[in-house]
Amino acid sequence: MKMLVYGLVTGLLFGFLLQKGRVLRYDKQLGALRLQDMTIVKFMLSSVIVGMIGVYFLYDFGLVKLSIKATILGPVILGALIFGVGWGLLGYCPGTSMGALGEGRLDALWGILGMIAGAALFAEAYPFLLQTVYTWGDLGRITLPQVLGINHWFLIPVFVVAALLLFRWLEKKGL
Amino acid sequence: MKEENGGWSPYLAGALSGVVGVLSVWVAGQYFGASTSFVRTAGMIEQLFGPERVAQMSYFVKVAPKIDWQWMFMVGIFLGAMIAALTSKSFRLQLLPDMWVARFGDRSGTRRAMTAFVGGAIAMFGARLADG
Repeated sequence: MKMLVYGLVTGLLFGFLLQKGRVLRYDKQLGALRLQDMTIVKFMLSSVIVGMIGVYFLYDFGLVKLSIKATILGPVILGALIFGVGWGLLGYCPGTSMGALGEGRLDALWGILGMIAGAALFAEAYPFLLQTVYTWGDLGRITLPQVLGINHWFLIPVFVVAALLLFRWLEKKGL
Repeated sequence: MKEENGGWSPYLAGALSGVVGVLSVWVAGQYFGASTSFVRTAGMIEQLFGPERVAQMSYFVKVAPKIDWQWMFMVGIFLGAMIAALTSKSFRLQLLPDMWVARFGDRSGTRRAMTAFVGGAIAMFGARLADG
């Protein structure tokens, strides 16, 4: 029960910020995919940078656990390509579809119904996929610091600087 | 940091959402995610028609059809966005997005519904495959 309340409150805050950042709209999502408006890239990368620093900081003090998913090349590459096709057609992603509906974008509802159908379809295909795609290129639960054999605090500044340079470039281009 | 469209700077809103994400991991041990909830919802709907079948399906064994932290997180996103929109006069009941209308016209409601539904199904299949 406590976890459900945490979930609701966290979602309230996140949904509020997604709406304030104006990233829930179809026009913003398609704008990014058409390389015309990078608002969602600015939002996402800013979130990732803060999240990366914060989580690793707490991790160093043993206060949080990392949640590292297995890197399996087959499903990740194929899944990403399929996701991209669907995202381009729908114009909302799974999380933002709920927020888009919240700010009155009724077409998100079709997408939500479609995503439930897609999840059902995936559940049907799962036993087959498990024996095929999921066996292609399983690298296990790896991270960049681990693969490169260096401390994460050497990599984090590289990502921060790269993001800041990208932001500067986007602003210069007016995207 | 007000934008001309009445919103906040995406850098500020994004960074604050990062803070919310870090606090969530710290306080509740939960990382943000969305697509698992669609699996749980599909499972809960299928349970209405054939609970025995759902109980045997390996994916619904792995991802149990129940309401959990992330499911409530999704409800929260819906409500949070609604509160932000209503309190800033940017709530807008809209069946067709502006960019869509510019390309397909304002009498393309069926086409939009079909595209969004099929797109949603494809996107979710891909997201689940990549475990995103």
